[in-house]
Amino acid sequence: MSAVNTAPSSAPILALSGVTRSFGPIEILHGVDFALRPGEIHALIGENGAGKSTTMKILGGYLDPTTGEVTCDGQSVRFVNSDAAEDKGIVMIHQEFNLAEDLAVDQNVFLGRELRRGWRLDHKAMRSRTADLLTRLQCRVDPAAKVNRISVPDKQMVEIAKALSRDLRVLIMDEPTAVLTERECEILFTQIERLRAEGVAILYTSHKLGEIKRICDRVTVLRDGTMVKSAPVADITEEQMAAAMVGRDLSDLYPAKPVAGPDTVLEVENLSVPGVVSGANLVLKRGEVLGIGGLIGAGRTELAEAIAGLRPRHGTVRLLGHDLPAGLVQAAVEAGLAYLTEDRKGAGLLLDKGLRENLTLPLLHKFGKIMIDRKAEEAALDKAISDFAIRAPQRSMRVGDLSGGNQQKLLLAKTLLSDPQVVIIDEPTRGIDIGTKQQIYALIADLAEQGRSVIVISSEMPELIGLASRVVVMHGGKIAGELEGDQVAEGAIVRLAMGLGEHQEEAVA
Amino acid sequence: MTMATAVKTQSQGRRLDLQVIGPIIALIALILIGMALNSNFLSYANITNVLARSAFIGIIAVGMTFVITAGGLDLSVGSMAAFVAGLMILVMNVLTDTMGVTLPVILLGIALALIAGVIAGLINGLLITKVGIEAFIVTLGTMGIYRSLITWLADGGTLSLGFEMRELYRPVYYGGIMGISWPIIAFVVIAILGEVVMRHTAFGRHCAAIGSNERVARYSSIAVLKVRLATYVLLGLLVGFAVVMYVPRLGSASASTGLLWELEAIAAVIIGGTLLKGGFGRIWGTVVGVLILSLIGNILNLTDFVSPYLNGAIQGVVIVLAVVLQRKSAADR
Amino acid sequence: MTKTLIATTALIGALTGPLVSTAMAETIGISIPAATHGWAGALNYHAKRTVEMMKETHPDMDFVLTTTPDSGRQVSDLEDMVATRGIDALVVLPFESEPLTGPIKRIAESGVWVTVVDRGLAQEGIENLYVAGDNTSFGETAGDYFAQNLAQGDKVVVMRGIPSTVDNERVAGFEAALEGSGIDVVAMDHGNWNRDTAFTLMQDYLSRFPQIDAVWAADDDQAVGALAAISQAGREDEMIVVGGAGMKEMVERISNNDKTVPVDVTYPPAMISTAIEMTVLGLTSDAPLGGSFVISSELITPDNAADFYFEDSPY
Repeated sequence: MSAVNTAPSSAPILALSGVTRSFGPIEILHGVDFALRPGEIHALIGENGAGKSTTMKILGGYLDPTTGEVTCDGQSVRFVNSDAAEDKGIVMIHQEFNLAEDLAVDQNVFLGRELRRGWRLDHKAMRSRTADLLTRLQCRVDPAAKVNRISVPDKQMVEIAKALSRDLRVLIMDEPTAVLTERECEILFTQIERLRAEGVAILYTSHKLGEIKRICDRVTVLRDGTMVKSAPVADITEEQMAAAMVGRDLSDLYPAKPVAGPDTVLEVENLSVPGVVSGANLVLKRGEVLGIGGLIGAGRTELAEAIAGLRPRHGTVRLLGHDLPAGLVQAAVEAGLAYLTEDRKGAGLLLDKGLRENLTLPLLHKFGKIMIDRKAEEAALDKAISDFAIRAPQRSMRVGDLSGGNQQKLLLAKTLLSDPQVVIIDEPTRGIDIGTKQQIYALIADLAEQGRSVIVISSEMPELIGLASRVVVMHGGKIAGELEGDQVAEGAIVRLAMGLGEHQEEAVA
Repeated sequence: MTMATAVKTQSQGRRLDLQVIGPIIALIALILIGMALNSNFLSYANITNVLARSAFIGIIAVGMTFVITAGGLDLSVGSMAAFVAGLMILVMNVLTDTMGVTLPVILLGIALALIAGVIAGLINGLLITKVGIEAFIVTLGTMGIYRSLITWLADGGTLSLGFEMRELYRPVYYGGIMGISWPIIAFVVIAILGEVVMRHTAFGRHCAAIGSNERVARYSSIAVLKVRLATYVLLGLLVGFAVVMYVPRLGSASASTGLLWELEAIAAVIIGGTLLKGGFGRIWGTVVGVLILSLIGNILNLTDFVSPYLNGAIQGVVIVLAVVLQRKSAADR
Repeated sequence: MTKTLIATTALIGALTGPLVSTAMAETIGISIPAATHGWAGALNYHAKRTVEMMKETHPDMDFVLTTTPDSGRQVSDLEDMVATRGIDALVVLPFESEPLTGPIKRIAESGVWVTVVDRGLAQEGIENLYVAGDNTSFGETAGDYFAQNLAQGDKVVVMRGIPSTVDNERVAGFEAALEGSGIDVVAMDHGNWNRDTAFTLMQDYLSRFPQIDAVWAADDDQAVGALAAISQAGREDEMIVVGGAGMKEMVERISNNDKTVPVDVTYPPAMISTAIEMTVLGLTSDAPLGGSFVISSELITPDNAADFYFEDSPY
């Protein structure tokens, strides 16, 4: 898999020239020029809020430019809606999949464009064509399976199959690897490269610069709505990309690792969650940052949720010498333990509510006796905005309209509002740009510095290695091993995560 | 929805305004129509009548707003009201035999109605939260149960309060202070309390959070089941309270008491701008919704404008219009 | 054919007694609407009462009583009765005429004795026996009373019931009786035979019309609601209210010479008793029995009120 294919000089299929876009009085994009050529994978990178989503939505026909021009095959076009764009073979795959969860795979692939035989649906044809498409993608999902029963990467394959089922010319992918494991990413990359070989123009966004270096041909960097760089990937290093995105040097992405104190804060003994976690033991010291690694599905999140009282469990959890009752979140929070979910949008924030309501939700009883003290709430929000550097254009806006990074900062502020002694942070930087990452890493180190203890669960290897002084690795619902100090390294973690450490088992994905 | 054509995003500001103004515009329009069609429309007697008759549904709809905001639904309130009313009358008649026509009988009757309402709400709530059955099914079931129970209690006929007791209890509906009748006062007080609880207390905020996203609420250490349960109990209590106001009006309850109240209450809540799927609720909107529904009936009775056969159609059109008015730009998104 | 109900009941009671021993084990199915409003409640009461009575006098007979909330359920009930209980006779008050005509016709053709109560079938000649109240006469009786007791130019408001054939026939009879009397019907709306609806309707009538001389509530449940609204407005002395059906409470007021409620019009729910008793008689006796018994409405006045007062009826 070479990083650079032939540098395609063919005419662009889809291009933007001098495009600006305003929302109300605020201009988000300031004159973007951008072209997608057949057989080229073009990376679009930038911090959250830099204008990537807006650019993609304009390309995909979801938004109109305020000024400037969209051209398709050299002709100026104005898509009425995304359907009009799709008719031209321009398909966008969203980060949150556009799949009807209760329908079968084949029904999803042909949703809205069902094949018919007279007035009846031609189930057989749709099923067999879906099977063909999935085979082409080397995806072994049963076309008759319901979408809510298949895995996240399989859903992504279904989205791609959906795109392939029409005459695909431009594929816009919004952070496709954010929810995938490394192995799943490999499969995706193979597919993307195959599509490139077929002459599809691909727009690819990701916060993982390593990926971009590996599979993309060209990279364009957006910062604050302006194009700051556009170059062949071969001519630019990851560090240069990051610097272009953030506009400053990022040599110190990870802060110095804090030193753990002597006293134990949290003890987990023989914790089991039926079917997912069995016999887990953990010890957490004051001022420590403990990492938990492992593949997606190894039981990391379930372990954390069981500790936090969000899942039924067996076994003991002792916080500062007191046993925490199982299945009671409120008790855990009151005792000083907080959990920050990996599912920011599904379980972390109320997307249709404002910042204030979200921030104070877990701790409303502390804001006023009977009536909520709105002034105190506003003060807490002021503090959170400044402490966590949350950038919100308007205080009253819906949290769903915030960028991912600012959502994550708000979620952190919300989790830390109860002033917990122990914080479990599940995937602290999923789908977040590098600048915000750096801020969150610094925050985690600060927490430990203040004498709090932090558990970080992460699928990103560099993150575990850069943050944690001790890493526990899970495999198949069990704790496969523990690494400390110099042992904390990518090879050792992967070995344990694949089940190759102490237990010589076959790797199970 | 998932595959839905994503149409261009519109500016957000206008949507909010319409949501606020929509029901009020509908209410004002109805008032203007009423004034134009009948000169007695704004008379003291007519206004008092309309407000007082809105009180039962209104009091229930305030409770319903909390239930719906928290993502629930209660179809049983009409039957529940009939059953509680029947029970109250039956017990008061029995008590009258031993205690005579006295105030304590009324007080005991009121206490019974409130307690019966709370218990009925508790049963709904426990089945929904502890047993985990969908609210729609649970309350559909209890709707049938209470309706049968009142029919059985009344032996298919009508349960009537003893004549003298009726005279003693009568002022609770027909009386009042400073020319404002008690049901109106009760409705106003409950609506104001409801608005305060919804907007300014943790309970109201928690209801909205649960209706908006139950998982987020649970992860935010909100006692989701307790709050849910509380909404049904509150609704039950308010049904009991509505019955306390209802019984003195005609002094009777039968199998046709409270028929379709549940749908009127739900319609009022939705007209008022509360989302049927939960996550957002406003009590003042519900009050406007209740008034809109009452006014439609009132105006149709005050005029020969349309064939009485078409009353239901007029109501339907106004309900849909009132909702369309506030959701129109939401659909554009 | 006009009979008072009491006379009929007494007659059949006397006839059926001695015939017990000659009867074979027979099953009678009875299907009536559920007790969703006062009149239907009374119908249920009288049906149950009669079945109990018949069981005592005819221990060898079986009775199957079902109550239904709608036409569809009634059809299923009838099918069940034929299939699983093997009924020999059917007493049915059809929920609606049209949908029930076919199913009842098939039952009649299979040789089952059919007695239809109150609501006639869409096709003639299916049933062996037809027992019914007379809706036209119900409306006429009230209309005649108004025509005789109100002055020319007096204003009347009318509360109709649930839109249905029954309601239409009653109103037609009422309007026919008023024709030429010079009495002015100023408004007609549906109170749906419901006390609460009637109450609000009357409140609105009172707001709308400064002068109302009489209310034809057409149903005693509606009359109760209307009376409550009138007394709230303090206008009891301005108008009279005539209901219908013969509810205990109304009969009581009439016998107490209440000025607002001077009379009432009967539509006796006890007609179901007549129907059951006559069906039993038809099965047990060899005497030919059949035809049509239409029970006309009567005017209840303070003079005859005592005859229409049933102490233990729920209605």
